[in-house]
Amino acid sequence: MKNKWTLWALVAVLGLGFATAEKVHIMWSGAITGPTSDAGKYYAQGIEDYCSWANDTGYVAGVEFVCETRDDQYNNANTLRNFEEAVDRGDPVFLGYSTGGTLQLKPLVQEVGVPFIPASYHIGNIDPPDNDYVFLPIASYSEQVIAVLEYIAKVAPGAKVAMAIHPSPFGRAPVEDAKKAAAELGIQIVEVQEMAKGLDYTATLKRFENKGVQYIVYQNVAGPVANMIKDAKRLGLKIKHAGAHYAGGPDLLRLAGDAAEGFLWVTAYYMPHEDNAAAKFVKELGAKYGRPADAIESVHYPSGMLAAGIAIEAIKMAKAAGQKISPESTYEALLKMNWANKLAVGPVTYSKDDHVGVDQLRVLEAQKGTFVPVTEPFSSALFRKVHYGK
Amino acid sequence: MRNPWARTGNYKTSYAQDTTIFATYSEQASLVVFLIGMLVLPRFLIRGDMQILDLILIYALAVLGLNIITGYAGLINIGHAAFMGVGAYTAALVAPHLPFWAVLPVSGLVAAVAGAVVGIPALRIKHLYLAIATLAFQLIFEWAVGHSPALEQGGAMAMPRTVFLGYEVGFKNHHYFWYYVTFAVLVLLAFAFRNLLRTRFGRSLVAVRDNDRAADAMGMDPGRTKVFAFALGAFYAGVAGALYAYWSRAVVIEDYSLMISIKFLAMAIVGGLGTLVGGFFGPAFLELLDINMETFSYWIKEIYNPPGVDVGSAIRPLAFGLAIVLFLIFEPRGLANWWRLLRSYFRNWPFKY
Repeated sequence: MKNKWTLWALVAVLGLGFATAEKVHIMWSGAITGPTSDAGKYYAQGIEDYCSWANDTGYVAGVEFVCETRDDQYNNANTLRNFEEAVDRGDPVFLGYSTGGTLQLKPLVQEVGVPFIPASYHIGNIDPPDNDYVFLPIASYSEQVIAVLEYIAKVAPGAKVAMAIHPSPFGRAPVEDAKKAAAELGIQIVEVQEMAKGLDYTATLKRFENKGVQYIVYQNVAGPVANMIKDAKRLGLKIKHAGAHYAGGPDLLRLAGDAAEGFLWVTAYYMPHEDNAAAKFVKELGAKYGRPADAIESVHYPSGMLAAGIAIEAIKMAKAAGQKISPESTYEALLKMNWANKLAVGPVTYSKDDHVGVDQLRVLEAQKGTFVPVTEPFSSALFRKVHYGK
Repeated sequence: MRNPWARTGNYKTSYAQDTTIFATYSEQASLVVFLIGMLVLPRFLIRGDMQILDLILIYALAVLGLNIITGYAGLINIGHAAFMGVGAYTAALVAPHLPFWAVLPVSGLVAAVAGAVVGIPALRIKHLYLAIATLAFQLIFEWAVGHSPALEQGGAMAMPRTVFLGYEVGFKNHHYFWYYVTFAVLVLLAFAFRNLLRTRFGRSLVAVRDNDRAADAMGMDPGRTKVFAFALGAFYAGVAGALYAYWSRAVVIEDYSLMISIKFLAMAIVGGLGTLVGGFFGPAFLELLDINMETFSYWIKEIYNPPGVDVGSAIRPLAFGLAIVLFLIFEPRGLANWWRLLRSYFRNWPFKY
């Protein structure tokens, strides 16, 4: 009798052991408070909700994801602390955020060999040196700006363009490539203006007008862009405005109101108001996890979801290949990834020489308070030529 | 005195005794115990804790420099992070060619030159106007770095891996190695700081702070004193910048921004302006407060997370601001004053006075 109970107890313990899912930690470190937190807080929510969805649906059999979103307050020392904690714990992948934080961590990321997926699409993140383990979710800022220049060259051949950029490595990243691309496209970049946190851009805009500028291309965040386009409207200027991923989106519409009408925006993400599977998925998750409308409509929410999605997909691939979940196996999986995701306009593909996930972009135009696509998904024809010389 | 170790009060009878670095034998003994404690501390800490400890020590070094400029010379400086940045960028440029132990003083000296240049306006202006001049330096520094291709326009300049006695410092021992280096540098420069006040220059600093016209009348040179205060404070910041560069493995402009300058001022105020121990207490208090509030904010999020208001996230920056305001209102002399009261209590114990 005693042996029988012992046997049952053994079976129960073994059964529990088999039933318990393997816990896999994924950490994100970004700005939930402090500079750029208007984007960071929704990005974090996107990560949290995608992880919850993966757990709720059993997306990776036998794996329970524990996703931590850490507020580093846009402080690189905090990012470093969070990253090292994740490395010490053996996390298979790390989700980053800012340009400065990612650039600073690159040597360490290279040393420890943990795949790193930032929210910053700065080309320097994946340029040598120390670039083996950093993977961009979508095309870089440089490629985004060149893509919009290609569009401008098509609709307004020979146009005069000014660039208005954030006074930081984030803002300056695409300038040199943009100048080379403009020369190839036959359009003129007549001025590159760094935008301080000004509340009145009258002088800058009047100067642009005097130089005959037809388009201003922004590499900045939505706040300063909104101020400038509102000033342009107030001054009655006929200049058109265009911008890269973080310059536009629903945040810009909210901040600039009808001054944003006609703004050309380049991104790789679908919009929640579109009639497609991506929008449906984003809205479903937002509603399921109780997110406010501002979060669901923000482009940063699906951006966070895509970053988490890439990490989870890589872990799924590693698991399916029968490998132990580790930084090494996740890295190997990332190099083979070809993920037809629900969130962006193209598949996420990586290889040893290609660390850009979604290669395709769309140009959208603000029309009556929403961004409407004016192009089909396309890849920049010139980016590789001007940046890599091939 | 028959038993100097049991001394419970101040029994100085000569000027020489009054200017000794350590007032009592028990003070010397406690310092030795403290140093030994700090040397063995890494044995009891995990790597993650060491990372925080390193950061506190590096910031302490920078705040000591700020204490020379603002605490002792009374010159408001809101560009201190830029001095640290000058040291860090110097380190990034010279580190491939020099061993780390040579990089540290070189970085400090370059920052000192920058400090002396920034100090020149102090010959003619003071108070709020001087504060704006130092703010201008901070902005010029950020602009200059942002437009210098040689400095990656503020993007990352990677630091080379450190090799010490043929041994390469890697991920596992990085923070332990830099802890001992930073600690050694800090002890050396803190000792120099303490000695500074016993010198003619040190006393000039205090005299110029209290009344520069009176100091001038007493035969001191307020102008030279102010410029030298900036140079010396910047030297400390420059060395701290070089250490930070090695510690963080790369130099990025964001680490030396205006926000960091303000953080240093907050650390100096919370620690206690014009004190040596304040330079340690301020960074330790604010860094540990931030980390503990981070943990607390996650806990708050779990138990109380109303829609539309992120109470948990808001608590962390709120605590930082609240700490500064409360110290300014209730203890403007900072934690150093609490330390003084505590020491006084134990020195006189079991008597009240």
